[in-house]
Amino acid sequence: MIRIFVLMVFLFLYAPIAFVIASSFLDNGSFTLKWFEKVFEDYKVIRAFSNSLILAIASTFFSVILGTAAAYAYIRTKMSFESLFYTPVVIPEIAEALSLLLFYNLLSFPLGFYSVLLGHIAFNVAFVFVIVKARLAGYERSIEEASLTLGANEIQTFLRVTLPMAMPGIIAASLIAFTLSWDNFIKTVFTTGPGFQTLPMLIWSQAVRGVVSPSLNALATLMLLISITLAYLYIRVSTKRE
Amino acid sequence: MRYFAYPAIVYLIIFFYLPFFIVVLYSFGFPNFDLKYYFDVMKPIYFKVLLDSVILASITTVLCFLIAYPVAYYIALRAKRWKNFLLVLIILPFWISLLLRTYAIMSILSPLGLMFTFAAVVIGMVYDYLPFMVLPIYASLEKIKRAQIEASFTLGASPWRTFIKITFPQSMPGVVAGVILVFIPALGEFVVPSMLGGTYTTIGTITWDLFLRYHDWWRGSAISIIYMTIIFAALAVYMKKAGRIEI
Repeated sequence: MIRIFVLMVFLFLYAPIAFVIASSFLDNGSFTLKWFEKVFEDYKVIRAFSNSLILAIASTFFSVILGTAAAYAYIRTKMSFESLFYTPVVIPEIAEALSLLLFYNLLSFPLGFYSVLLGHIAFNVAFVFVIVKARLAGYERSIEEASLTLGANEIQTFLRVTLPMAMPGIIAASLIAFTLSWDNFIKTVFTTGPGFQTLPMLIWSQAVRGVVSPSLNALATLMLLISITLAYLYIRVSTKRE
Repeated sequence: MRYFAYPAIVYLIIFFYLPFFIVVLYSFGFPNFDLKYYFDVMKPIYFKVLLDSVILASITTVLCFLIAYPVAYYIALRAKRWKNFLLVLIILPFWISLLLRTYAIMSILSPLGLMFTFAAVVIGMVYDYLPFMVLPIYASLEKIKRAQIEASFTLGASPWRTFIKITFPQSMPGVVAGVILVFIPALGEFVVPSMLGGTYTTIGTITWDLFLRYHDWWRGSAISIIYMTIIFAALAVYMKKAGRIEI
């Protein structure tokens, strides 16, 4: 009984995704790649793709540096600022997005790439902090102290002892930060201006009319494959460590 | 060492906490002081939206719980060699954006002619939020010691009695966590109702309209402050409950 129920639930979860992927390769029942060709020929798609990619890379870069430094400081000093980093994780995106829009509006900050990037770094810093902190939980100061006692200086110790210990956490956090930024829709829409469009915004602008089209399926399939690849990398990184 | 944390803290204060303070200011009529925006959003048209959101979020949460519990139970206690595979299938949707998952369910609902109905919104919500309920329940079921369940059987309790007396109470922290993880974002959900529901309005869609369409910062802020108050109330209940269960 329970087996059949569980099977049905997994069918419910994966049938729509399988349907999108399958129909992006089909034209009247026969295999085709023409929907993908159409996607790659569309200038707007290419533009949105590069916007999304640059945004995700930049926000990952800055948030990993800020968040990792804070997580390291927390592990070493146990300062009581931890809860500052939890609010952005639990607050719904739309509340965060509208507050940032008001902030930019008050400052007359121009809306576009930079306003979106600054917003993405904000939520990513919090996620990076939480993940790296969790991965550094088994951290032992004595290993660093051993390195210092054996004659390595602070910088050598940091580069050759501390950083390698923190690396699995940093990689995991980078993958999550990249995904969150790459997929983000609500915060991007609220803080962007004319001329800066990302892939999720492009999908939204077509899907909101309730129209399912084969080329939109192809675009969705490409994005699904990227998400699944990132998830796979994450699973590889996090299981390797154990 | 401490100063390592300062850049991130300063960043969050400027780009996260300060903006929230500005929302509070606007909800009270910034640059003036006026309570009328709170009264405005309590008027029937807005209040109905608030109520509709609570109803939709509640239905979503209950359905997710009813569907997720057996799934979590199966993965934690019955799946054996399929366990890791099924876990991956539950975790994978977390990596796929909500927008894409909503598009996926739309591609099924559309040919079935179910679009732009309340049912479509509910199906979409359950589809998107189900993994958020399965995972915490699974985590708490996973921690239960098998020996306790076996002891219950040995002492003559029926499977049902064992479930009610042993298994279910110990999975409560996971259930509460799942309810919070589904209810809070479901309440403010914007993508699902606007993509699948046509004219169905929620806190999410009304916030979108007030901010992006009408540039009504004041009523928009008042609504979002009410929304956040509900969230913090829910979180406070959760903290209290979680604390009590741990003792």
